[in-house]
Amino acid sequence: MGEVLTLAVSAVLLAGFYAAMAYGLGLIYGVLRIVNLAHGGIIMASAYLTWQLFTKLDLDPYLAIPITLVVFFLVGLAIYWCLVRFLPRGSAGAVQSLLLLFGVWLIMRNLAYLLFTGNDQAIRTRYSTASVSILGASYSLNRLVVFGVSMVALIALHLFLTRTYWGKAIRAVGQNRDSCTLVGIDVERVYLLTFGLGTALAGLAGLLASTLFAFNPSFGASELLKSFVIIVLGGLGSVVGIALGAGILAFAEVFSIYVVPSYLTSAVGFVLLVVVLVLRPGGLFGQRVLG
Amino acid sequence: MTAPGTAVGSGAGGRLRLPAWLSGRALVTATAVGALLWLAPLVLPLGEYTHNVVGLTFMFMAAALAWNWLGGYVGQISFGHSAMFGVGGFVAARLMLALGLPFWVAWLAGGLAAGGYALLWGHPTLRLRGPYFSIATIGVGEATRLVATYWSAFTGGSSGLSLPLSGGPTKFQLYWYGLYLLSVAVALSYWLRRSPIGLALLAIKEDVEAAGDVGVDATRHQDVVLFLSGTVVGICGGFYASYQAFIDPQDMFSFDRSISFILMGVIGGIGTILGAAAGAVVFVIIQEFLLANYSQLYLGLYGTLLILIILFEPLGLAGLLIRVRKLFGYRPRADVAAGGLRSAAVGVETPGAVEQGVRVEPSEQSEPVERGSGGLEERSGSPPVDRGSS
Repeated sequence: MGEVLTLAVSAVLLAGFYAAMAYGLGLIYGVLRIVNLAHGGIIMASAYLTWQLFTKLDLDPYLAIPITLVVFFLVGLAIYWCLVRFLPRGSAGAVQSLLLLFGVWLIMRNLAYLLFTGNDQAIRTRYSTASVSILGASYSLNRLVVFGVSMVALIALHLFLTRTYWGKAIRAVGQNRDSCTLVGIDVERVYLLTFGLGTALAGLAGLLASTLFAFNPSFGASELLKSFVIIVLGGLGSVVGIALGAGILAFAEVFSIYVVPSYLTSAVGFVLLVVVLVLRPGGLFGQRVLG
Repeated sequence: MTAPGTAVGSGAGGRLRLPAWLSGRALVTATAVGALLWLAPLVLPLGEYTHNVVGLTFMFMAAALAWNWLGGYVGQISFGHSAMFGVGGFVAARLMLALGLPFWVAWLAGGLAAGGYALLWGHPTLRLRGPYFSIATIGVGEATRLVATYWSAFTGGSSGLSLPLSGGPTKFQLYWYGLYLLSVAVALSYWLRRSPIGLALLAIKEDVEAAGDVGVDATRHQDVVLFLSGTVVGICGGFYASYQAFIDPQDMFSFDRSISFILMGVIGGIGTILGAAAGAVVFVIIQEFLLANYSQLYLGLYGTLLILIILFEPLGLAGLLIRVRKLFGYRPRADVAAGGLRSAAVGVETPGAVEQGVRVEPSEQSEPVERGSGGLEERSGSPPVDRGSS
């Protein structure tokens, strides 16, 4: 019983991180109707940025959060401004944008190989091995902080999307682009902003991931896949949906160690995806993420 | 094979009826090109290296065509075709090792196993459209690679498998087997596009629900295409195993291999009939002659190529060709233009009344599709009536 509880708590901690990771992908999809295949690449790039800041400038990963957010917000603006805006809008450009952003990902991977070689890197801070005990079991301090940061980010995002003009504009464009044009929302600017925000969130996820996992230039592929599974599971449009999707995936992965060998843990998400698709083709909660 | 084709080609509208998807001229051209390629190594003084690379290129062309059936004809871009390539390769290799089967039987068996495997994951995931299917296939590829790497009893794990030295064809002979494989893939490509099935696939690509409304069984059609695609790619995997005489899961199932199929399709022109084959040639040229010296740059180069093509010429080489021929007053045929990327994404739609109007937008920008969608029946070389009626 104690073991189950411990696993459950780690699943919750993991779910917090997953939710922050998936939200960037979900936001961009929800508003622009394109899948940001560069998501995994951004996560990888951000992990390397954090690592560079830590090793070269001795900057603590968590203190680097503002830098990461700004840098990747700008990266997102650049990707949108230089590439994505030339593609047809909406579903007509979906496959094109997919391949385009895949190209961006390949270039990022290549750059990372050239700059940092293909070796695994990890960030070891003084508190990397510190642990905290909750309910008699001890948990890594890092995981708790990552969970906390993720929660703060999600709540801040939720407030931004519900309380501010631009946040409301983003949600409105996600619901109906044409009506937004009618009432005078600058749709193109909303797209730009959304892409920047989604990329910044991916950057945050990369920073958090770099404190938990080792990474190399191929890092990010399974993060992309997991983010996608979460979106399909939880649907779009609400922090709650994403959180539920993240929770389901995290619990499935954590408890799968009872059933499958550990190297297959990363395949659990995919199996979950297929099962959901067979049983509930519209997604778990019926928001029709799928076509 | 050759004789009836010539008869029909010259004696306009002769008594021998070819199937509607096959025009006499295409048959004659294909036979002539095939015969030339068959004879080429016997006549031309090709070096051994070039000869082998050309043989391998035939296989890649076949694989690219097979990928294109799914990626181009149906508009479902697969990032996981390395899974079928690997399954085909390893099943074929195991059959040759364990039972000593003749290589071509092993290839076929490997191909069928790969096709079956494709159906296994594809039947559920093909409910996804466009980008969602694509991402799911990333998962398929990764999961298959993981399992294959750890299942060393079957795949030999990271140390791989060596094929029996005797009994298999030599690299020199593989040239002709590659050519046969390519011929089959080309014939299937034409059949899948020009037959009524091709029209059904186009309908599915444009709008799954509308296709369903006019009686096209989207699930069954996609399953068939996926099975054929997986089978041919699996046979290519078997060919590759014979060619290399050694295979290991890290190579066969790698994500890079899946990427290579996508690139071949995109370079050549997604959804065109023969574009993918041309793309495969370009891909092999890049890989063998340019990247041999700059191996650390290949991902970036592929990425740049992908971005440039998508931004400037989404139909790839085929699009360039159309552009050049347009300068001379050529009007592209409906099926060439309709095969492109543009319409490949339908299915990801937002609800709302206004959206209905918006969806006209893309076809307004693109005159080829516009012209094409009205003129699907007026394809040259075959009677228009045969189209819808079977």
